[in-house]
Amino acid sequence: MIDPGMVPTIDPNPLPAPYWVLKTLLVATFFLHILAMNFMLGGAVLALLARWRKGNLFGNRIFFDVARKVPSLLAATITLGIAPLLFVQVLYGQYFYTSSILIAWPWFLVIVFLIAAYYGFYYVAYRGERRPRAAGRVMLFSTALVLIIGFIYTNNITLSHVPSRWAQKYFSSAAGWNLNLSEPTLFPRYLHFMTAAVAVGGLLLVLIAWTKWKEDSEYARSIFQFGGKAFLYSTMAQFVVGMWFLVSLPRDLRMLFMGDNTLATALLGFGMAGALISIFLMSEALKKDNIRLAAFAVSGITGLVILSMSVMRDILRDAYLQPYFHPQEFAVKTQWSPFLLFLGLFIAGVVLWIVMLKRYGFFNRTKAADR
Amino acid sequence: MNYPVWDLAFGAGLLMALVAGLHVFVSHFAVGGGLFLVLTEMKARRNRDAELLGWLKSHTRFFVLLTVVFGAISGVGIWFTIGLISPTATSNLIHIFVWGWAIEWVFFFLEITAALLYLYGWDKLEAKLHEWYGWVYFIAAFASLVVINGIITFMLTPGHWIENHEFWTGFFNPTYLPSLLFRFCISLALAGIYALITASVQKDAALKARIVRWGALWTVPSLLLLPVFARWYIRKIPADLWASARGAMPTGTHFALLACILLGVTLLLTLLALIKPGRLHLAFSLLVAVVAFGALDSFEFVRESVRKPYVIVNYLYANSLYSASIPGDGGYTVDKIGDAGVLKSAKWVGNRELTSGNQVAAGREIFRVECESCHTENGYRGLRHYIVLRQWDLDKIRAMLGSLYLMHNGAMPPFAGADAERDALAAYLATLQSGIAAAPGPADGRTVFEHDCVMCHQVRPDDHLFTNLPRDQQTAIDALKDLPGMFPVMPDLKLSEGERRALVQWINTQRPAQEAGAPAKGGN
Repeated sequence: MIDPGMVPTIDPNPLPAPYWVLKTLLVATFFLHILAMNFMLGGAVLALLARWRKGNLFGNRIFFDVARKVPSLLAATITLGIAPLLFVQVLYGQYFYTSSILIAWPWFLVIVFLIAAYYGFYYVAYRGERRPRAAGRVMLFSTALVLIIGFIYTNNITLSHVPSRWAQKYFSSAAGWNLNLSEPTLFPRYLHFMTAAVAVGGLLLVLIAWTKWKEDSEYARSIFQFGGKAFLYSTMAQFVVGMWFLVSLPRDLRMLFMGDNTLATALLGFGMAGALISIFLMSEALKKDNIRLAAFAVSGITGLVILSMSVMRDILRDAYLQPYFHPQEFAVKTQWSPFLLFLGLFIAGVVLWIVMLKRYGFFNRTKAADR
Repeated sequence: MNYPVWDLAFGAGLLMALVAGLHVFVSHFAVGGGLFLVLTEMKARRNRDAELLGWLKSHTRFFVLLTVVFGAISGVGIWFTIGLISPTATSNLIHIFVWGWAIEWVFFFLEITAALLYLYGWDKLEAKLHEWYGWVYFIAAFASLVVINGIITFMLTPGHWIENHEFWTGFFNPTYLPSLLFRFCISLALAGIYALITASVQKDAALKARIVRWGALWTVPSLLLLPVFARWYIRKIPADLWASARGAMPTGTHFALLACILLGVTLLLTLLALIKPGRLHLAFSLLVAVVAFGALDSFEFVRESVRKPYVIVNYLYANSLYSASIPGDGGYTVDKIGDAGVLKSAKWVGNRELTSGNQVAAGREIFRVECESCHTENGYRGLRHYIVLRQWDLDKIRAMLGSLYLMHNGAMPPFAGADAERDALAAYLATLQSGIAAAPGPADGRTVFEHDCVMCHQVRPDDHLFTNLPRDQQTAIDALKDLPGMFPVMPDLKLSEGERRALVQWINTQRPAQEAGAPAKGGN
């Protein structure tokens, strides 16, 4: 039973900018966040796989090379995650707070797990080589925590989409343990994101290989082969997982991506075509030992695919919330001076950020390899 | 009641205090510690002090691991936690200050990047460039304090924002500047205190002594300046709010006193460390840190308790009801709920109607949506404890619920709902004291006062109870029979003859003779 009465009333303060501005910021910053998350999580998973893979000469070296990058990637994930966390509360607060409260304990534990995982990753990066055995276990522990955090996120987000299920959950228990386990899309959706992370983690390895291509060619080729194959296999697997996700959606929502909504259908088509092309290009690159093809073309296409997926994710959310969420009903009163100040500071901040990286030598290939 | 209430048995307030308490102790360090890093680096290079530079490098790692990981994530943790505990307040603060939060994010981004590059750059960058990263870090960290301070102080002193709803009015509110300087002072003091911790594990006694003296140079003047800004801060808080934290609900005053004492102890300990700086022990440095932690948390408690019963003063009560009717309040004001009924207004209750059979269950739900943002049954601010302590029966509870807003100098919002709903809440609360025996017969007057009067009255000659109660014993005993008749907002407590007599006798022993017949003023 749909009870629109259960959806909380939005607070009295109008939106401080037109809806489309906030929506664009939400989707754009979510895209950046998910990109960083994919690099971080995929990198961590592949570091572990490299270490456990039998008969690999460089397994341990790959492990530490990637593991050393994970703390900074996690910092990027968190920092880039704050903006979409802000904008989702601006536009979808009623749904987001409510679902968070229904799973309050797991949601709160995200913070605890994140701190533990983060320190674990730092331990591996700083002390790992001195204690390689412990490093493997700590890496596994931290990666498992991050995987659990992803699962909690998928629970919260899927639960925020289905107000019709809130009352039954809340009245059965208000203690905050209501995971959304009965949701048919929960596991396929979660696996869809995690599989993508492994693919992008593969691209992280390809990029690492590219920075070492000339100076340490044997190792670079090994890490290229490993990362490239990880990308290849996980993107192939994505066709199965993605299909599962698609068929698990309620019929009317599924049909949005199969003709009912032109943009959604086009984006899905683009995403699948992009994935196919990148599979083809990556296998070519691996065969021909063409690192540039993998590092630039495949990464570029994958970036566009992830962007299109981010837009699709947004279309899907709005379709789920269509009975309740009507953006035209938002009161808007643009706060011009704070908004322009933000824009100015944002642009200045990006410039300063690039200057910081540049002065450090990030755009210098050999120096970047050290980091 | 617009949002579901997380049923947290040990107390939502306690969880919030835990997360926020830990966060502020690290986040303030993240600001002052940034300036400390870059100035210490410049000093060490100027003096060609390689040992100091070596220590600073390890101190940077400590700093970054603490602030970038724990500091940053616990900050996100506060956001998670307030969203779970006070979603209405969070939603308001988000919408009022969207661009403030967004600007905060820009600085946060720069801060994290600069901190990491400063750390990684120790062995890679030449001195000037490395210091440049230190400055970028500090300026970004300070700017993030500049932004968040506007939002935190807004909650206590929204000032004219209540009338004009303008971003900058709310942001640069009356306590903005004193709070900014106060917090910056704290952050500088903490920079010195944290330096003691990493200094204490140094083996080189001469180096240790240099760091301890240098750290004290940060801590001591900052601590001495703090009272100046604190006084300014307090003067900018509306007098009635500040007064409400004193007297009958002295949480604010207690914590203010505690903050002062712990601040003094921190200063004393820092000075003690200077006696033999080369022999500073890790345990001692941790003691200084723990005492400073207590002082800072006490201050945050003062801020929170002064703010009661509001979460945003003169706008939103702690239980998520708007204090006055405004367009778009969704009906969630005390008055509107009084008219419509809480069971009809709240979205997240199962009992929509009161029947003879569901009084206690509905009362439990009313407790959840109206009280549980601050109270629990048995945990933090547990009501069972208060009710048992004061031996309140159903009638007294019901009477007291009518005067909630008078209790403890107005630290609580009024009950919102219909009379029958108040009875239901009372019926539920009465089940909490089911274990206690019926109140014993004529008690002594002091006990009667402590059970039934102390929520609103104080033992002070200028309190209404002492100024207004007739001096003649029998007249006073008769007057107490009908409390609302004496003063309309008083709860109808129906004290027994014996209780009234004992109370009057005790009150007469408490009031000085010269006060007889003095005009009523002050008190409650």
